[in-house]
Amino acid sequence: MNQINPLHIGALLLVLILFLFFKLSGIKEELVEAKQEYKVSKKLAVNVSSLKSVYENKTKTQEAIERILRQSSLKSVNFNLKKEKKSIKISSKSMDAQALNSFMGKILNGSYNISLLKIKKLNQTTASLEMEIIW
Amino acid sequence: MFTRFKSKTRKLFLDPYKSEAVEINKGEKLDIILSPSLYWVKKMKLPITNIREVKKLLPSIFEDTLPSSHYSYTAYKKGDEFFIFAYDDKKILDLLHKKEISIAQIHSIHFAQTEFIALEGAVGINEAQAMYLKDEVLLLAPLEWMSHTQNLKLENIQLSKETIKLQQFGHIVDNNNLYKIGLFMMVLALIFVIEIFITSSRRDVVLDSKDTLFSKYGLQPTMMQNRSTFSKYNKIYETQMQLREYLSYFLSMKLEDGQKILLVDYQNKILYVTVSGVKKGASRAFFSQLDAKKLHYTTSFHGENVKVEIKL
Repeated sequence: MNQINPLHIGALLLVLILFLFFKLSGIKEELVEAKQEYKVSKKLAVNVSSLKSVYENKTKTQEAIERILRQSSLKSVNFNLKKEKKSIKISSKSMDAQALNSFMGKILNGSYNISLLKIKKLNQTTASLEMEIIW
Repeated sequence: MFTRFKSKTRKLFLDPYKSEAVEINKGEKLDIILSPSLYWVKKMKLPITNIREVKKLLPSIFEDTLPSSHYSYTAYKKGDEFFIFAYDDKKILDLLHKKEISIAQIHSIHFAQTEFIALEGAVGINEAQAMYLKDEVLLLAPLEWMSHTQNLKLENIQLSKETIKLQQFGHIVDNNNLYKIGLFMMVLALIFVIEIFITSSRRDVVLDSKDTLFSKYGLQPTMMQNRSTFSKYNKIYETQMQLREYLSYFLSMKLEDGQKILLVDYQNKILYVTVSGVKKGASRAFFSQLDAKKLHYTTSFHGENVKVEIKL
């Protein structure tokens, strides 16, 4: 004949609902955090990936420099190219102002990590160039 | 469960006007027979055969006859007719409590109506009342009205299968409302469980996507390492942008007659630009152009050659 007080069952259900409510709130918060973290991670990933591809891609940098040097406006210039493990060195003992402008325009408009640059005026129309690009 | 079968049961006639105390032995269980004083009974024909349908009608059948209280109802069919009952659970429970009978000591509860169906003559149930059968309905009457009454004997009574269960908390909450509230709470709990399941699945998908992101972009295992890598490359980017910006300043400068850039030298993150034809204290236009760009620079003079030094 013993029966359970319905108020006890009600209280138990209420506790269960409260527990589930707080559990749900916690998981929702975790979801918001996870989304936020994903957003931050994606932004960072895209930035790191793009910067890495620009400043740490040896092949891409070497090919781009060689392509610049093959251009018709620079064919008359006698460039000295020295490829090393972590860098590429470009030098010319003498080049005219027009070729220098063309070369520097292309280098400065590209994304290269220039570690050394020396342009020395030799006379009214010529200058010497020394440049090192690293990755 | 085994003790239930082992325990002895004793029949007890429960009457509110009987002053005799009830003694219960240890381990003994009681089959309670409720006195007609503790319930209302009607015998009637109804145009319904289903007992469940009849039970739904009981509150309205008793509506006009019962004093105001919270009642439970039951019915059983005998031949073509129904015996319908109404009883106040709290009133019976209070009486049990008064007689110091706990709910745990009760084996079953019956109506006197169902147990004295073959009663012959009148039986005295307390100091003032007797009960007798009239047209199959057990009635109460004052003792004085009866010319002859027998003593109440329970030993020979074979208990029927018609029993009731007292609603101990029926007076607190109505059963229907209780079921509705309970159902609502269960549905709410179920919705929460489903929502938790869906949300945690979505969270897992986002976390998996983050892992995929790491492998897709070839990131390092921890965010700290990646932030450090980003910081390193970002510094290179900013330095290179500054170098290009400063070079463009010098290349676009309006030089006076006789002024020429002799040397542009950049190494170890320091930019040196040597310009000829710049007289110390006399070439304000040259320096005002640099100042206009808000550059932090230092200068050193070698004759009419000035060496401008800018740290990147």
